[in-house]
Amino acid sequence: MNDAEIIKQILGGNKDSFRFLVERYQEMIFRTCMGFVHNREDAEDLTQEVFINAYRSLSGFKGEASFATWIYRIAVNASLNRVRKPAVPYVLQRIGHLFLGENEREWDLPDFDADDPESQIIRQEHADWIRNALDSLPGKQRTAIVLSRYEDLPQKRIAEIMGTTEGAVESLLQRAKANLRKKLSSYPKKNKNQRRKK
Amino acid sequence: MNCQLCQEKSDAYFGGMLPPDMRIQVEDHLVKCSGCAEIYRIEAVAMKVIGEEKKILPNPFLATRIMTRIESAEAAEALTTTSLKGIVRPALMTLSLAAAIFLGVVLGNIYNDSPESVHTIPVELSLMDDAAIESIDALSTE
Repeated sequence: MNDAEIIKQILGGNKDSFRFLVERYQEMIFRTCMGFVHNREDAEDLTQEVFINAYRSLSGFKGEASFATWIYRIAVNASLNRVRKPAVPYVLQRIGHLFLGENEREWDLPDFDADDPESQIIRQEHADWIRNALDSLPGKQRTAIVLSRYEDLPQKRIAEIMGTTEGAVESLLQRAKANLRKKLSSYPKKNKNQRRKK
Repeated sequence: MNCQLCQEKSDAYFGGMLPPDMRIQVEDHLVKCSGCAEIYRIEAVAMKVIGEEKKILPNPFLATRIMTRIESAEAAEALTTTSLKGIVRPALMTLSLAAAIFLGVVLGNIYNDSPESVHTIPVELSLMDDAAIESIDALSTE
């Protein structure tokens, strides 16, 4: 059954059919949300919010774009709203980390090659620095880079989702990469120097 | 190969989409140019971090949770609508009754307050006034 048929069924009163759409798109939406919040719990919470919003506004879906494009737009808007206004204020998050310990974020440790504690610390610092650099990008650049890197979408598809042209997406990606390089290039050297001083 | 071309090819390099001869050229440049090598190193780390995040899967019960939340939200909305109907309908009836009574009172007051109905004497009544026909003085002299 394709998306249009499922939507027809839902609008016809068979609301349980929405589960098919959820099961079909949940991983895609979850990955997109992960690209913005970098945290499993927040991404799951956002994914729920996205599907509830989609369900509520399904009668307004005209089928001009595909359902996937439409729900991507909802996901991007919800994620940008979330990162502009975090559900838990930053100060409370830091206090939470103090009590829980950083190890609570088990997904934070990328599975790089070396296993010694120092390598793990360095990997952790690199990962945090990269996430911070991604998070500091302006909204449109961040959206373009998330859809490109996390979802591996072609520029044409990103342009559809963002309601812009392929040229504009290309430009956004170039500027995002330049900004990321600028932000990331200073960190590892600085970090190495600090470690040497110790 | 120059630095600009090398940096432009980074996506294709990491995506494994470079032809073998171009790949060799890029790698030769990276050995000679520490600036480009640093950029490639950073991109490699960034791709590794993103790759690790992409491996994380949502909870297997996420779809069930979403459907449960939708059902709860719908049930709550239905309850609110029903309770609103139960309050709004009697309230509207009471209000319309009160408005009808008020309108009646206002209309009644307008009728009573009419200056013609209070201060002017109908012609028929003035003709029935005997005193206007025969004065007391005339009667007293008779």
